[in-house]
Parts: sequence; structure tokens; C-alpha cells
Amino acid sequence: MTSTAPVGGATATATTEPSLETRGLTKSFGGVRAVDGADVTFHRGKINALIGPNGSGKTTFFNCVTGMIKPDSGKVTLGGNDITGKPPHRIAAAGIGRSFQLCRIFPRLTVLENMLVGVRSPSVLHRMGGARNGDDIAKARELLRRVGIDHLESSEARDISYGQQKLLELAGVLMVDPDTIMLDEPAGGVNPALIGRIGTLVRELNAEGRTFVIVEHNMDMVMSLSDHVVVFDRGRPIAEGPPSVVQNDPRVLEAYLGV
Amino acid sequence: MSASLLLQTLVLGVLLGGLYALLAAGLTLYFGVMRVVMIAHSAFLILAAYLAWFFHRETGLDPLLSLVVTVPLFFVVGYLLQRGLISRLRPATLTMMSVLLTFAIALTIEGLLGFFFTGTQRRINLGYSGSSVEVFGAHIAVVKLIAFALAAAALVALFALLKLTRFGQALRATIQHPEAARLLGVNTDRIAGFGFGLGLATAAIGGTALALDSTIYPSLHWHWIGPLMAIIVVGGLGSIPGAAIAALLLGVGQSLLQIPMGTTWAQTVFYIALFATLLVRPQGFFGGRLAQRF
Amino acid sequence: MPSASDTTTGAAPAGAAPGGATERRSRFDTTLLGGKIALLVVVGALVLVFPQMAADPFILSVGVVIASYAALAVSWNFVGGFTGYISLGHAAYSGLGGYATALFITRADLNPWVALIGGGLLVAVLAVPIGIASLRVRGASFVIVSIALVLILLLVAQSWASLTGGAQGLRVPRPFGEDVLRPEQHERFFYIHVAFVVVALALWWAIDRSRFGMGLKAIREDEDKAQALGVPTGGYKLTVFVISAFFTAVAGGLYALWFGYLDPIFQFSILIGSYMVLMSLLGGLRSLMGPVLGAVVVGYSLEFFKVHYGDSQFHLVALGLLLALVVLFMPDGILPAVGALVDRLRPEKRTSIREMTAEDLLEHNRRLDGGTGTPEGTATPAGSGPGATDAERDLATVPPREEQR
Repeated sequence: MTSTAPVGGATATATTEPSLETRGLTKSFGGVRAVDGADVTFHRGKINALIGPNGSGKTTFFNCVTGMIKPDSGKVTLGGNDITGKPPHRIAAAGIGRSFQLCRIFPRLTVLENMLVGVRSPSVLHRMGGARNGDDIAKARELLRRVGIDHLESSEARDISYGQQKLLELAGVLMVDPDTIMLDEPAGGVNPALIGRIGTLVRELNAEGRTFVIVEHNMDMVMSLSDHVVVFDRGRPIAEGPPSVVQNDPRVLEAYLGV
Repeated sequence: MSASLLLQTLVLGVLLGGLYALLAAGLTLYFGVMRVVMIAHSAFLILAAYLAWFFHRETGLDPLLSLVVTVPLFFVVGYLLQRGLISRLRPATLTMMSVLLTFAIALTIEGLLGFFFTGTQRRINLGYSGSSVEVFGAHIAVVKLIAFALAAAALVALFALLKLTRFGQALRATIQHPEAARLLGVNTDRIAGFGFGLGLATAAIGGTALALDSTIYPSLHWHWIGPLMAIIVVGGLGSIPGAAIAALLLGVGQSLLQIPMGTTWAQTVFYIALFATLLVRPQGFFGGRLAQRF
Repeated sequence: MPSASDTTTGAAPAGAAPGGATERRSRFDTTLLGGKIALLVVVGALVLVFPQMAADPFILSVGVVIASYAALAVSWNFVGGFTGYISLGHAAYSGLGGYATALFITRADLNPWVALIGGGLLVAVLAVPIGIASLRVRGASFVIVSIALVLILLLVAQSWASLTGGAQGLRVPRPFGEDVLRPEQHERFFYIHVAFVVVALALWWAIDRSRFGMGLKAIREDEDKAQALGVPTGGYKLTVFVISAFFTAVAGGLYALWFGYLDPIFQFSILIGSYMVLMSLLGGLRSLMGPVLGAVVVGYSLEFFKVHYGDSQFHLVALGLLLALVVLFMPDGILPAVGALVDRLRPEKRTSIREMTAEDLLEHNRRLDGGTGTPEGTATPAGSGPGATDAERDLATVPPREEQR
């Protein structure tokens, strides 16, 4: 792990430094342009939000950036490095962690094993080593304690509640030590108390220097949490800025209300 | 190679491709509604062929008449198969487990056919079995023409059903976006059952067509399932027009290759096309984007 | 539910009870481990004395057949058990291994055992392009390719008579020479097969507990998710696929050396591939010994059917029905079912975690939040019954059918 630890000082100096950028990103599905020449900049050390009406291409954009889908054209850069069209595991190694819409965990692995999947293996020899390594387990337990589900470590992940699975997914992403964390609808399908808890965690992690990109429908969460909001419509950004500005932008209202 | 031989080969290839297209359309339907690769499709095909043969032997009537019984019967069996067995599998492991389940059904059908009708090769002999028509010096057996006409008519009917009726609309909606279809009030579970019924009905028609001009035996279905699966992958899993185009192309390809290579080697065209498709374009050449994920 | 009473009776017993429970549990686990070791020793001893106990050469040959099935099933389970990719066409590799071994001996005059390993390596090399093509696609397409591979090889083996002998079959010279008698042959091959199974199991066990194995199991559970967490899924799948092909080929080669005769119809048979799947599935895909147990049960039944019903097609029906029953009612297999049964006897039940989350988690989160006392947390609301929890859990475990656009 070489690209870790943007702790403390990084946040203070890098307030406007671009972290993740796309230029002319395009992806079509059978004639429908889901993402249409999107130029988007997410800022380092900030909590960025990506919002937009249903079907505006947010998830496709998300999947293009994280390598789950290969874009037709355009460019994705992370801290200046081109990561366009790289396979997801390379993008993960480059420092982007992501969660999935409708939380995805490994159902028949235990909570602790779910965490250990994220351990990076730099060499073949390391891969053949035991998965239940003391250091890795200590790190996993620490993260599980942080999100508050350490007491469940030996349960199978399918046996814990949906809210706990969401927290497990977040902890699992942290195990990879990403600089940039992309969350797809973190507040989807969870109760208000848990939304608050996830918001607190995001803020804490951001304070440690991690950049966030959050796709979310819950406007309260977006407005209270994010520093920078990008509004998507028809596959490209139509407005961006601080939440208070974006909130009152007529184009945004139009996109949402369909005026 | 003489022109008439070439023409004859081409025509035979198209005639064979028609049957492939019908059967591949059935496989595509199952895949569309349930994401299920129905290994037992060709076993049902052979079962229908045996029923046609049995019907002919017992009654002496034209085997085509057996369709009156087998088509509705297979539709009901397909519906029950989906509702009673396939839909019981866990969604998380549906794809793999449904393959195994339908594989098990194929084995059971093969075993039962062997049990009741023995492994002896069977063939229907009709008054018009030996007759053929001559087109530009190419001799085409009448039974092959009948078989093709049957397959083509069934395929056109299937296409019309899907495109023109409300049921077809609901079925296509279920295939393309089950969640959205449910929101629009489509009972996707029942529609999936009907999709299976329709798919199996194509096997009934195909089997009868097959029985007209082929020798049949219980393990024959293995010779069909490979090419059919290759066709639906090349055509792009889930696309009926894609499957039809791939079926015709590969059917003609197989026919043409038979002349220089012989029948056995010619069959490899399907597998070569399958591997080439997966290496070059895993989502298939004519179809949707479902394929890559399944 | 012991934990509930703990919380009501106050802090001191609550502190003491978990300690007691842990002790009880560890005693239970010790007993369990002892039982397992005892079982292993007894079964191992029975296996080792089997050739001496066998009443006649026929029984001994059945033993070799079952050991051969176990070898195939364990080899298959490298792919099936770890990645969840169900290959119905592993007969392609066992068949190729058999033919490669035979041809290396007859055409290249190699020592039989060198030929055996050489055949395995050759198949492993061939498995690389096959794996690259077929592992690019998931689920259904992978199964299609695996079946197609067997069918294509059957065509080739039948047509290429100058090399394979075609439908005439191919004689394989016996490695121990003609002066070694039949029963002696059976006995030696029985031990060789058992040794092969032990080696394969040891490797399976080593992978199971490695980081590599953790990545493979993550692929089995959710491939996209695994890749998003940095698991190089393509390389991992290909590696384990090639390992599986190598072992399957060697198992096929061993069979060829023992049986002494190869026929394309039986070597490149969909049935052989489906036996491997059924055995592993029945015993338990995800457990070390599952495929071995499955091989014993299925292998014995197959031989039983052959003896009592001869060559009738009935064994196909039996195989089909058994496979359908396992898929419908016991997809996890025998061993996990037994494991669940043992877990139920456990004095401190692990499964009770689910029921106690509501209160315990609340308490836990309160402590974390520095005693603010807000009912903030992950707990399922105390009011919602088990039904609601189930629904939520289902929602979480069912993967979306199609990535949203």
C-alpha cells in the first residue's frame, strides 16, 4: 500500500485541488446515451455529492469511473493519472473504494471474512499466506469497532440486519484504505437513525483526509453533508457548486420538476 | 463443386437453419424471462419427436396431427415446470442451479425414453418420405420443406404474438425490465410461466418437424443442445432476432462445410463460432447487453 | 436465549456469564475437534485396510472406481467449490488427460508416470486459453462453454481415428507389467488413487485458508463486489481453473492407466462431468471432504445400479432424479447440513446473535457514542418482528438482476 495516509495536513492545503476528473465521458446502451460527454471535477479532501433525477445516468457514470463498465469515449483521471477503462481491481488499487446501490456484501462469508477480502496482496507469496493473519484481523476488528458491528464478527453476513450490512460494506471498503470513497446511495433503504450514523462516519473519515463522492437521493443528507454538489441530467452535469447555491439554481429545479 | 450442388447445399442449410432458429427462439425465451439456460430444451425436442413417431405408429395417421396434442401439452408442462420447479430455486444461485435442474430433467427424459422405447433408432416412413422436388437441378426432399414450413410458420406466429398482442407486450416488458413491468401491473411470475410454456411449445413443433425426416434415438438431444446453445450465445443471449440470424448463418455454414469436411467435422463450426464470439465479443453479435453478465 | 436473562439480572452475572459460556463453548469445540480427529483416524484406517478386507477382486475394483470418482470430484471442486462456477464439462480434462497419458506412452515411449504428469501439464497449458475464453462470461455462458467443450472433443476424438483410435478405442499399456496379477493391480491403483486424493485435498485445504482462497470465495459470493475491493478476479479464476484442469487430467490419466482402455464415448461424456458435479454438490461444495463423501455415496450407488439393473437406461433416470432432488432441497449438501445440526447442539448458540441485536446493539452504540442515550444505531427496530428482518435480509442478499443504467 503506497498511496495511503493523506492524513491531517493534506486537507488544509488541498482545498481546491481536483482529485477525480472526467473529460467527455460517454457511454451508450443501444442508442441511448446514458452518459453523454460528461466533464466532472470532484475535489480532493471534500465531500462531493452527485445528484440528479432517476435515469439521469448517475449510476452509469459511477460504474464508468470505477471500471465496472468500459466507457465508449472520454477520459477519467485520478490525481492526474489516467485510469480510463482500467479493470475495477486496478482502480481499487489506485485508491478508489466504492459501495454499491442496494448494499452488496458476501452473504455466506462471516463478517470478519468479509473484511479480510479487502486485504491487498502485493505478491504471489503473500497470496499463498494464511488469510487469518494477525495484523489484518486487528485492522479489520478496529474498523468493525469503528462502525459499531465488531460484536458480530463471527456471524455470517447474510444473518445480520440490512443496516448492519450497510455498515459492514462501508467498513469493508475502508479495509482497502482508499483515498477516494464513492458511495452509491448510502442512505437508501435504511432508517433515519442509521442515516445519521453513516453521516457522522463520513464526516469523521473526511476529516482524516479522505475524499468522498456520494450519489444520493436523500436531499437532507446531501445538503447537510456535502461541500460540493454536482447535478446530473440526461447524462451530463447541468450545475455544480456549494449546496446552498445549487439548491436555488433554476436549471436544477427544472430538471427535478420537469418544468 | 457444381453450381447445383452448391445451391442444394445452400437450400438445405437454410432449411436446417429454420429449425435451429425456431428452437433457439425457445431457448431465448426461457433465458429472457428467467435468465435460465434450459438444457432440457433439446430433450423435450426429442421427446416430441418420439411422441410424433409413437402417434404415427399407433394410429397410422400423419405425424403432423400429433401437434394438436403435443403443443398444448408442452405449453402446460412448460408452465408447470417454471411455476413448480424453477421458481423455487434461490434467486442468488438461480443461474447455476437452474442449469443443473434442467440438466437433471434432460437426463430423466433420456432415461425414460430409453426405458420405454429402448435405444433402437426409429424413423417414420410416410408415403411422401422419398419424394423430392427439383429446383434448378437441386433435389430437395419434400419432408424437409414441410419441416421448414412448419418451423417458419411457428416462428412467424411467435414473433407476431410477441409484437402484436398485449400478452406479448407484457412478456417483452418482463424480459427487458422485470421491476418496471411489475410496477406497471404485469404479473411477471405468471408471464414467466407462460414464457416457459411458449418455449416448450417450440420444442413440440420442432420435434414433430424433426421426426419427419430424421432418425431418432434417446441420446440424440446431446447433438442438438450444443449447436443450439452456441447459436444463442453468438446471437446474443436474450435476443430472438439475433438467435434467428445466427441460426440461419450457422445452419448454412454447417451445410457448406459438410461437403469438404464431412458431417462430423462440420459440426465443429458451432463450437468455433461459440469460442470466437466469447473471445471477440462476449455479449454476442446481434443481441442485447444481458449476455456479458450471465 | 441466555443473553436476555444476563441483561436482566444485572451487570455482575452478565460479566461472568460470557466467560462461562466461552469456556463451555471451547470445551464443546474441543470435544468436536476430538470427534473429528477420531473419525478421520477411523476412516483413514478403514480406507488403508480396505484392499485386505475386500472379499474378492470385484469388490476391490469397485473400491478403485469409487476412489477414481473421488479423485475427479475433488479436482472438480477446485473450481466449483471456491468460485461457484459450475462446470458440467470437466470430462473434457479427464478425457484429455487419459488420452495424453496413453499417447505419451505409446507414441513417445515415455515412462507411464512421466506420461501421467506430462499429460496433466499439457492439459493445464490447454486450459489457459479455454479458461480465458470461458471465464470472461459468467454463470450460464460458462456452463454452455463447458458443455460445448466436451461435445467438441467427443467429435474430434471420434473423427481423428489415426491418433485416438476413434470408435475402436485405444489400448493403454499397463504400468506394472503383465506379470502383476489383477487383484495386485487393483490394490496398487487403489492406494495410488487414495494418495492422489490426499494430495489434492491438502492443496484444497491450503488454498481454503490462504488470501488467494479468500479472494476466490469472495468471487463466488459476489464477483463485482470482489473486484471493486481490489481482488484481481480474472487472474484468480484462471489460476484455480488451471489447477483444477491439471488435477482432473491426472485423475483421468490414472484411470486410463488402471482401466487400460479408452473409448471416446465414455471419456468425453457429459455424464462423467455431471457425476463430478453431483458428487460435489451432494457432499457439499464448500467443504473439504464434501466431494469425497459425495463420491462414495454416488459412486457406490452407480455401481449398485450397474450390478442390479445392468445396462438399462434406468440409471439415467435415477441420476437425473437424484440431481434434481439435491438441487431443489439440499443445494448446500450433506456436510453443511450436518454442520448445522452440530451447531444446534452447541451450548452457546452463535445463531442467537440475530435475535439479541435489538437491545444489545443499542447498548453497544450508546457506549460508543459516549452515553448520549439517543436510540441511534443499526439495530432493527425492536417493534419489527422477525418477518421484517427476513424481508430486509432477503433484500440484501438478492443481487440486482441487472445493473441499473
